[in-house]
Amino acid sequence: MAELIELRDEQLLKMMRDGDEDAFATLYRRRQGGIYRFVLEMSGSTALAEDVTQEVFMALIRESRGYDPSRGSLAAYLLGMARHHAVRLLKRDRTYVSIAEGTRDGENALPFSSEDPQWAMSRQQSIEAVQQAILSLPEHYREAVVLCDLNEMSYEDTASVLGCSVGTVRSRLHRGRALLLQKLAGGKKAEAGRKAIDPSGCLA
Amino acid sequence: MNCKDFESMVHEMVSGRAADKTKQLEALEHAGQCLWCALRFDEETRLTENLQALAKALHVQRAPARVEEALVEAFRERTRRANRPLFGFAGKRLWHRLSWGLAFAAIVAVTVIIVLGNRKTGAPLLQHRQPDSGAQAAAKGPAETASLDEWANEGTTDFIPLGTCDDSECLDDAVLVHVALPAEALLDFGLPINNDWVAGESVEAEVVIGGEGVPSAIRFVD
Repeated sequence: MAELIELRDEQLLKMMRDGDEDAFATLYRRRQGGIYRFVLEMSGSTALAEDVTQEVFMALIRESRGYDPSRGSLAAYLLGMARHHAVRLLKRDRTYVSIAEGTRDGENALPFSSEDPQWAMSRQQSIEAVQQAILSLPEHYREAVVLCDLNEMSYEDTASVLGCSVGTVRSRLHRGRALLLQKLAGGKKAEAGRKAIDPSGCLA
Repeated sequence: MNCKDFESMVHEMVSGRAADKTKQLEALEHAGQCLWCALRFDEETRLTENLQALAKALHVQRAPARVEEALVEAFRERTRRANRPLFGFAGKRLWHRLSWGLAFAAIVAVTVIIVLGNRKTGAPLLQHRQPDSGAQAAAKGPAETASLDEWANEGTTDFIPLGTCDDSECLDDAVLVHVALPAEALLDFGLPINNDWVAGESVEAEVVIGGEGVPSAIRFVD
């Protein structure tokens, strides 16, 4: 197993196709976290994140030859599948748990340090506010923010996952961040405040 | 650099994505002179810090262990099925022969469906041979009687398992299909062929096809 960890995804996939269970387990452990978090960040639902993670790897077991290396990395391919499943499931039932609902019963409570409880509480609140704001973004912008800013993916990999151009990713990310700032600052009120200090002459 | 240029690159600058160092310096210089852009820079920096904090907080999130257990079990089952030999002893050669035999069977099946469909509508297209009674057979001419005798005495081998079915489930919804195979297929099962056999001549057989479409047994019809 130790040597398997050093292998690239594509090598593990090839071994997996030949029936190597350890190669499959290694590949799963390497990629499941990213997929699970992507869906959790997109939906706010741990149940949905779990279902989609399972579906993605089940699809990989069934159709491992569906991956074409010339079209991007395996990680991007798996995230693309996760996105497809997540969108389908979200459209099917819009009753997914929001972060606010989830944290009421502690389901999605974020871990935080207990060194300074007051500071930690304040930090926790601002993190949750960001998470809520992300969840309220339109899907296209949310995807770009989640992949680029939360998962630190390159524009190229993000474009591969979303099936669009790098330019589109850049503009969606830019717009998504602008919307996030609006939401975090209190929406229209904050926007009006920003316009008040906007030196429009400078934009010429 | 003006505010518009600054705005177009500020989020990439604070996220460490801006590649052009010269432009970055120009942007910082611009922010030093423009209050609005300085505020935008602070705003984007705070947002990036919050996003990084969220990413860090979520980094510990993983799918529960039960997902891995279920997937490994599914992988194991899939591998087991894939490694199961399609034919226990006759090998791939037989599969090639069966494949065109099955194609023929499909044609027969379609014909039967058409005939049955027409029977229901009361407009039969084909006349089927029915086993006549002794009196009826005797009433027919010599040539036709010989043909009926041949039909009545039609012999078959026992069913020969193909090694693809190791439990009763695979026989759920099984169907028996009539196929034609090259006569040399008999050799695969250790059965003799006639000395007057001509290359390309076919023999008839019946194949048990399980619910999943996998042939599980075969018997040859004389």
